[in-house]
Order: sequence, then C-alpha cells, then structure tokens
Amino acid sequence: MKVRKGEIKVITGNAAAAYGAMLCRPDVVASYPITPQTEVVEQLSRFHADGILDAEVVEVEGENSAMNIVAAAIIAGGRAFTATSSWGLAFMYDALLQAAGFRAPVVMANVNREMPGILAVSCGQQDMVSTRDSGWIQMAVENCQEILDSIIMAFRLAEDIDIQLPVMVNYDGFYLSFLAEAVEIPLREDADQFLAPLKLQPERTKLDPKRPLGCGTHGILIGFMELRYKHCAALERAKQKLDEIDREFGEFFGRSYGGQIEEYRTEDAEIVVITSGSAAGTARTVVDAKRAEGVKVGLVKLRLFRPFPRERLARALKGKKAVGVIDRSVCFGWNCGPIYMELRAVAPDIGFIPMMSFIDGLANMDITTPHIERVVDDVYAVSQGKPYQEVTWIPLEE
Amino acid sequence: MVQKAKKLPRVFEYFRNEDQFAGGVAFCAGCPLELTLRILSKVLGRETVIVGTPSCSAPVLYGQNIGTWHRLPYYSCLMTGVASSATGLVRYYRKAGKDVNVVCFTGDGCAADVGFQPLAGAAERNEHFIYICYDNEGYMNTGIQRSSTTPFGAATTTTPVGVVGRGKETAAKNLPLIMAMHRVPYVATATVSHMEDFVKKLLKATEKKNEGFVYIHVFSPCPVGWEIESDSAIQVCRMAVRTNYFPLWEAENGKFRLTHTVATPRPISEYTRLIRKFRHLTEEELARLQQEEVNSNFAFLRHLTEFGTSGTPETGG
Repeated sequence: MKVRKGEIKVITGNAAAAYGAMLCRPDVVASYPITPQTEVVEQLSRFHADGILDAEVVEVEGENSAMNIVAAAIIAGGRAFTATSSWGLAFMYDALLQAAGFRAPVVMANVNREMPGILAVSCGQQDMVSTRDSGWIQMAVENCQEILDSIIMAFRLAEDIDIQLPVMVNYDGFYLSFLAEAVEIPLREDADQFLAPLKLQPERTKLDPKRPLGCGTHGILIGFMELRYKHCAALERAKQKLDEIDREFGEFFGRSYGGQIEEYRTEDAEIVVITSGSAAGTARTVVDAKRAEGVKVGLVKLRLFRPFPRERLARALKGKKAVGVIDRSVCFGWNCGPIYMELRAVAPDIGFIPMMSFIDGLANMDITTPHIERVVDDVYAVSQGKPYQEVTWIPLEE
Repeated sequence: MVQKAKKLPRVFEYFRNEDQFAGGVAFCAGCPLELTLRILSKVLGRETVIVGTPSCSAPVLYGQNIGTWHRLPYYSCLMTGVASSATGLVRYYRKAGKDVNVVCFTGDGCAADVGFQPLAGAAERNEHFIYICYDNEGYMNTGIQRSSTTPFGAATTTTPVGVVGRGKETAAKNLPLIMAMHRVPYVATATVSHMEDFVKKLLKATEKKNEGFVYIHVFSPCPVGWEIESDSAIQVCRMAVRTNYFPLWEAENGKFRLTHTVATPRPISEYTRLIRKFRHLTEEELARLQQEEVNSNFAFLRHLTEFGTSGTPETGG
C-alpha cells in the first residue's frame, strides 16, 4: 500500500487539532473559547469563513451548550466536533454524561489544564482525570502531529458501529497547545479515504420525524441495566479497536502510535517508567541517556486512559523488576497519581512487582530531564532491592 | 322546525392535523397541559421533534419504559440542555436539507432558571426553532418549589407561609418580555382560555420560525400546586387575562401588540380568591401584588405597544 504524504506546515498543537477536525468534515462544530484551547475555536471559525470547513459553526454562550449541541446534532444524524479545557469541561459535565449515555460519538479535543484551584491557568491532567467515570473514551497524546492524527483516528473509533461512544482527545495545555512544530497535514482526499469505511457500516439509529422515536426515555430497572452493560462492553471493545485503527493509520499514512500504549525499549528492559502526554518526549531522551549508562530502562506512554489498557500493560510489564509512574495530576483520597492508582489495579495481572508513584508537573511545573532521571534512579534502586517510598512529589522533595 | 347545526368555534378551522396524543395520558386531573399539547400537535403536525426535559410534561412525553402516549419524535435532555440540544438538532437538519419543526416544550423552572442561559444564547443566535414555556409558576413536578416566575406572596414548599414566612418575597421574573428583548422574530403569550388567540399564535410561530427564534409563553395553572379546583383551570386562566395579571400580547419583529384587550380590568382579588396559594394574603399584600405583578408590568407593556406602532388591538372581555 502506498503511504500517503501530506503538506508539512509549522503549526501549533491547537491548530493541529483544528486541522484534524476540519479534515473529518464535521456537520456541526460548537465550541466556546477558554485558555489554552481558544485557538482551536478561532482556527475552526477561520476555516469556516474561508470556505474550507463546510459545517454549521455555532458560536455558543458556554461549554454546556457546546456539548449539548454536538450531542444532539449527532443524534439527529450528523458528525460533530467540539473542544474545551478544564473549567469548560467541568461546566459541560452533565452534558458529558448525557452524550455518553446517549452513545453519541462526539469527538472532543480537551486541552489539559489544572483544576480545581486558584491561579491555575496552567497545564495539568486533572481535568481529564476528573471526568474519567463519565463513560467517555479518553486518549492522551504527546505531540502536535499526534494531536492531528489522533483526532482523525478518534472519529474512526467513536463512530465505529461496534463502539458508538464519545472520544476525548487530551493534549497538554501550553506545552502542546502553543508549541509550534512541523506537522504533516494529510490531504483531504486521503483523510476522506481513511474515514470511508464508516460509510459502509450499517446505519445507526437517528432522530428523524419520518421514523418517530423517543430518545432518552425513562430507562428503568432492567432496561437501564442492559444499557449500562452494553456501554461497558463497548468500552472494552474500544481497546482493541484503537489498536486496529492505529495500525491501519500507520499503513495508510506512515505514522502509528502503538494504539492503547506506546512502548519504547521495553522489550529487554528490567525497569519501566510510565507516563502520558507531552512528558513522554522528555522521558524518551532520559531512557536513551540511561541506556547509554547501562541501565536497562524502558518507557510506556499511556495513550488510552479510559478504557484502561490493562491487558496491554500487563503484557508490557510482565517480568519487569520495578515500575515508576509519573502523573501530571493527583488522586484525591489516595495521595498518589491516578495512572499509578489504576496500575495498582492491574498488579495481579502483572505479578506483584514494586510500583512507585511520582507526582510532577502540576500547574505548569516542568517535568524536566533531571526529574525523570531521578525517577529512573529511584526505580532502579528499588529493582536492586532497596526499600522504597511509594509516593514522591518530585518538586517538593528535591 | 329546522334544526340549526351548532356552529363550531372558529378554533377548529386552524387544526391542520390530527391529535398525536393517545387518550388517558398521565397528567394530573384538570391540568391544562394536556389540552396545550393536544392543540400543539394538531397545529404543528407530525414533522415535529419535541425537545423536553424532566418536568410535569415528561411522564407523557418521555413515556414509561418503551411505551409513549404520543406519536411525535422526542428528544429528552437535562434541564440545562433544552435550547442547546434544539440548536444541535436544527443545525444538523439545516445542514442535511431537512425541513423539521423543532419545538422545545419546558416549564418555567427550565426556561427562566436553570435552562435560561442556553435559552438566551439560542435566542441571541436567532436559532430557527420554537420554544414553548408552560408557566405554572414553580417546580411543580418536583413538589411545588418556587421558581423565578413564582409571583409575589405565593405559598410554595420553599416559600411556605408560617409564623414568619409570608410566601415568596419578590415579584416574578417577566420572562416573555426578557425574551422579546432578545430581538427575535416572534414572542407571544398565550393561554388555553383564549384558544383562538393561542392557535393563531402557534400558526404564526410555524411561519416565523423560518426567520429565526420563536418564543411562546403559556400561562398554565397547576391544580395541585396552586390548590385550585380540578375543574377550574380554564376559569383561572380567563381571570388571569381579565385582571391583566397575564395579558395576551405578541411582539413580531420588535413590534408589540396586545392581541386581546380588557376594557375594564378586574381587581387582582377576583383572581387570587380562586387560588389557595394566595389565601393568606392581607389587604396590603394584595395591594402589593396588584401593583407589582399587574399594574407596573401592564403599564410597561402598554408603553411598548404604543412605541413605534399604529396597530389597534382587538377588544373583548
């Protein structure tokens, strides 16, 4: 198969998100500006004004409306896109649950920003974490190219007839939203062709007066249980589906990201560092440097937070001596990082190896190379039998 | 002797479709909502998607389990998401080239309170759909709590009358006027005691929604919450009009017009004596109700109707 080449432009992460959405030809776009996501809204409006985006663009009065608009547009039969961040995500919380419950395949870019708290116009994944039980599929990505590519993949995943669930593509605010990088923008016809399999699927249920139906009727007792059961089953299916879509994307465009998780030098690794988002790039350079020093360390980049990729993680971590997780958010009530906490639940599948939680990078604190080196050193020491501290708040313990 | 055929009231001439609701719906006895919805479906027809929310109308509109009492397509959302969901529907239908009436049907709690932001947003964007608010002056479905359209002095479960409490302390928010200030193509008030007026407004709504946002505010007494006799709702509606407590008006492209004028308005006490939620009111409190909920509102409306228009309202009693 011929690998498709696109045009290379130097664009920000936000622009990459807008390009990704535009290439998927949504029927309706509704979004409300919030730092650091604003540029996505502006760019989509610009595409619309320039005639590149043939969609109904709704300039909404708040995020809650944005989510209700895109969900309803999808139930009516369309494709829709929105973008938000932090408090905007919080403000659409009820609509977020409704969209998931309606099985509306919304695709949303969420530009990770700290919350809750004051003076937090800064990066952190707490917004994503606070909505982990909303029934959405949640992805986290590492760089501007991956933002664009993941949004295209997200439409394939969300609208797949076996899935029919909303997908949130998370990328770090500031670190990625305003970072300008060279990004290859697929050609329109290639994006169309990649999404074409969606058109061959059986038609999903739509709200059409020609075939009247009630959408969101009282689901009580067994009916409700059945809907929940199917929702959870679809989330389970989404894991493997993402791997498949990612592989197909790789064959098509020459770029792939490992699906649920991306492993880097884990094969022969004795210890593993897990992180997600933009920190993964820094972690990769640290892995290379430590490898040069003779430390057998590998990296797992978590790309899928919900559903949690337990099977892939168990495979990747089986037989390792110790693992450290760097989280850019916290788990209130557990005093650890959320990815770490989730990983603990996978421990029986891995074998009970030492696991360590490192909290770093809250509110735009840089997750620096020395920070990650320290993580590797600590995890390595534990793998050599040293006693360990379960949770480390890195910048507070330097 | 020739038997003269009984002439049907003119309102029947406006019905273009059959009733889309089954018999035996689950509304409370004497609630004017049933009549409102039946009329709505007869005028608007089957190419209509109703958007609603948990409320008094939900048991009938949502149905129970897999059964419903009507044949209209229905989109149920949260109270915060009615006008925005309707926006999503109409925007997609427009993109797809489908001509569908999208009609929001909610109570005052959604329209005036928790769902007000999306309502105001949709009106300002001039979205092409019809929003009908049935105003029963409170959260009746959840058990008669006050909303921002509850009038001064009314007893509710959150403004109870007790040793100190005297009912609601502030006057009602005038939602139809607020909506008219959004400069939308059409805003009207209506109630089931003046059916021809109501139906004409619904017909106009179906035309005006092609230009943009349409808002109709329907006065809808609650037999349970207001403690009125279950056969008296229409009488209460009529008295609300006759006292100018609920004047019937419309604003078409910014031109205000009374669609029904009352030659000699009755005092508010003739209205309140029908409704036991006002039974505790003293003479002074009644005077304040008369002033705040009737006189000042009506004087303001009168000014608006005289402003920049030469339309003469129809007279009647």
